[in-house]
Amino acid sequence: MAIAQAMCTAFKQELMLGTHNFATNGNAFKLALYAEGGGGKSSTTATLGAATTAYTTTGEVANSGSYTAGGGTLTKVAPTTSGTTALTDFADLSFTTATITAMGALIYNDTNSDKAVAVLDFSSNKTSTSGTFTIQFPTADASNAIIRIA
Amino acid sequence: MFDLGSGNVGSVNIMTSDNGGLSNDQIAEMAANKIMYISDEAPEPIRLQAEAFKDRVRNLVQYYVELARREERATICAKIREAGQHQLADAIGRL
Repeated sequence: MAIAQAMCTAFKQELMLGTHNFATNGNAFKLALYAEGGGGKSSTTATLGAATTAYTTTGEVANSGSYTAGGGTLTKVAPTTSGTTALTDFADLSFTTATITAMGALIYNDTNSDKAVAVLDFSSNKTSTSGTFTIQFPTADASNAIIRIA
Repeated sequence: MFDLGSGNVGSVNIMTSDNGGLSNDQIAEMAANKIMYISDEAPEPIRLQAEAFKDRVRNLVQYYVELARREERATICAKIREAGQHQLADAIGRL
């Protein structure tokens, strides 16, 4: 599969190096959308997964509406714990008046060299046509939060 | 020894629309998803009760989203009408 959901391996290492700061006044994180097949720029196809180390324009969806190269900035929710699990969350992100077909997304650290955090696989192509494309993050608990360390 | 059991990534929910913004139903669905999560592993009687409650939450949110949008349009229409743009106000009022 060209886009496979994963917490990037490099991100796990970088956590130990203190590269990423998810505090509300910490680093800036962004989410970029990617296509498989012909939906991306210049018909490129994204290859994203655990081995992804940084943001790439390969396979990123084209600019449309409020979506521009690099994607949208995520609004962070301060990391917390639930039982023995640490977790963090983001506010939902929307791109408006946009014609987008995306199969997945990459969350990356815009402050620190665009280092990759996680790859999201939408399972199938999701399309908006001159409309809104919204990414709703899961419930921020120990079983579902977008980024969890158990 | 420090043992990092596992790092996991949650599943996102994607909502899209064509030729306009999200519908009342979609926004209500998103709100209901945030208000309560029902585990697939919950015992069936509990899960069924939870799903029934979630339906009620979704319907309630849907009603108030619709009301909020209608009232917002009414306010916008009034402001536009005050500015003398009666035709535009009528067009928005018909949405």
